[in-house]
Amino acid sequence: MNKTIIININSIVFHIEEEAYEILRSYMIDIKKHFGNSADSQEILQDIENRIAEMFSEKIQIGRKEVISLEDVNLVIDRMGKVSDFEGGEEEEISASEEKQQESSEVPPSAFVEKKLMRNPDDSVIGGVCSGLGAYFGMETKWMRLIFVCFVLFGGSGVMLYVILWMVMPEATTRADKMAMKGESPTLQNFKKSFDEELQGLNPHISKAKSEIAKGTSVVGSGISKLGRMFLRLVGYFILVICALTLLGLAIACVGFITGVLGYQREMVFPGTEFLNTAQAIVALIAGTLAIGIPFFALLQTMLRILFSTPPMNHYFSLGLWATWISSIIAVVFFSFVGAQEFKESSTIKVEKPLVAQKVYYITEKDVRTIEASSSDKEGKKFKIELDGVDLESALRNHISINFESIDSLAKPYVQYNYFARGKTYQIATTNAADINYLANQLDDKIVFNSHFGINPDRKYRDQSVSVTLYLPQGSRVIIDKSIQHKLRNLSYWDCKESYKSEEKIKSTEWIMGRTGLQCTPKFSPITKNSEEEDLDSQAEAQVREIEERANEHAKRLEEHAKRLEEHAQRVENQAKQMAERVNKAK
Amino acid sequence: MIAENTQTQMRKGILEYCILSIISKGEIYASDIISELKRAQLLVVEGTLYPLLTRLKNNGLLSYNWQESTSGPPRKYYQITAEGLEVLRRLDSTWKELHYAVETSLQGRNESNNN
Repeated sequence: MNKTIIININSIVFHIEEEAYEILRSYMIDIKKHFGNSADSQEILQDIENRIAEMFSEKIQIGRKEVISLEDVNLVIDRMGKVSDFEGGEEEEISASEEKQQESSEVPPSAFVEKKLMRNPDDSVIGGVCSGLGAYFGMETKWMRLIFVCFVLFGGSGVMLYVILWMVMPEATTRADKMAMKGESPTLQNFKKSFDEELQGLNPHISKAKSEIAKGTSVVGSGISKLGRMFLRLVGYFILVICALTLLGLAIACVGFITGVLGYQREMVFPGTEFLNTAQAIVALIAGTLAIGIPFFALLQTMLRILFSTPPMNHYFSLGLWATWISSIIAVVFFSFVGAQEFKESSTIKVEKPLVAQKVYYITEKDVRTIEASSSDKEGKKFKIELDGVDLESALRNHISINFESIDSLAKPYVQYNYFARGKTYQIATTNAADINYLANQLDDKIVFNSHFGINPDRKYRDQSVSVTLYLPQGSRVIIDKSIQHKLRNLSYWDCKESYKSEEKIKSTEWIMGRTGLQCTPKFSPITKNSEEEDLDSQAEAQVREIEERANEHAKRLEEHAKRLEEHAQRVENQAKQMAERVNKAK
Repeated sequence: MIAENTQTQMRKGILEYCILSIISKGEIYASDIISELKRAQLLVVEGTLYPLLTRLKNNGLLSYNWQESTSGPPRKYYQITAEGLEVLRRLDSTWKELHYAVETSLQGRNESNNN
């Protein structure tokens, strides 16, 4: 099936095939150019057109052949002769000037015609990609091949590039394609040239050498713009690939998060979805995926249209996409709002528990995720798993902080727990806080903190946290295990660790409770901080002063007592003297 | 190049002379001139003929009249004018001279070649 065009030569109408028309038109243009300068051009052209019309009408047979084909046009041109053959009958000067004109007029059309990037099947080693590229960039094919070989040698990227280009570049099958590939306008001379090249298998650049020089300048100019276009196209492909990968990733993530919400796996749980119940979470996830995915899909579609000129999207389909996108954004906003509502109010429950007073407290952590079970358990049964107050079904949280505060040396030690949670209302927040199950265990001088606390699996994440404060009397020694260091809040475990000898592998640090809080007292290291020494000195001084004062007081009291005894002794003496005088008188 | 140039010059001159001769035989149509030339083994394309005919006509050596055709548009039939005949006679004599000159030259060469 061929497209036909209706033309009119000397007021006679002909139907002519499109390809044949193109050739005829360029032939006529060439003839006009050739005779344009001579005085009788009008008449000559008239004669020629007349003759062509006559020859065409000879070809037409009503009912059998009504369309002028390429073959007919070629036959007519053969009989009429090519422009280059006309010189024989022309005046010397005219033809000479004509020739010059022709040569110069040969260049502009090729410069104006846009080159097409196509594979060249006539000059191919593998797929004709290199020769196609060479033709596109006005480069000799061998240099293009050399570049590709270099690419292959450096990491093999050339192979990938070649395969992609092979897929992307269409093959130049028709002669018109091949000429478009080389950027030649489909004029008769070019057609002839292309035909001759094909016939003789000539290197196109040898026969083109003359025009190549003139073309050179225009190629440099247009080459830069073409390079730019090429680059933009590459960017387009890049965007295309990114879009496709993003969509794929989104789809996988969406499915993963939904299985997470449904509880098939726990590794992949989208942070926000914990605020919502299962049904809400699934809807929110799908809405979120669509809200992100649809713009990428639209971009993908646009890139496809630009790069491969695929037909535009169905009108209803694109409208539907818009509607879906807007509603999914509304859904995301709505669920964010619903989620935020669940965090509106907060509540803290404070619980105090006494501790058994000890000289030294060993503070350690127990990782509840590591289950200790002995092999002596009943055979045939799985180990009986018991966790201290932690149900395996419950969701684990590790939002726990531990503080140390100092109290009077004679006061009794105790521990304070602050259970914190949020909720839609104050009541719900309080219920959520009360639901937290976390207590430290004291075994003689050991205080063990669990690494996690459990929350009821039905109750979702509501910012639950536990803050533990140990109130210990001044002068208590505390040994803190390394395992718990991340839960400590008001002291720097790291600084204390640093003050030990660096060669030793520090498993625990030793502290003493001062007036303001725990002070680091490295047992193995003579290095102590000045401030601590001073603190200790002043403490000792105070004690010494107290003892001195007490001693002085005691001495004063003893003195007074001694005085009183002396007075008493004098009085007794005086009485004895009086008695003695009375006895003497009586004598 | 030189050989080609000379050939073109020769053919050019002879072509005009031949065309005038053909037309002098009677009214004739362009494509028939071509067939005549082909018969004479002087190969030209029609495109070459039209400018030549136009030039000869404009110089007053030829005239033409339109004749209806059974197939396609009306045709131009050429005929020679009195002036054309005069020119043809002059060309005839020139040709004879040239022919003699060429013959003589070739003869000398052929003889030397044969010897």
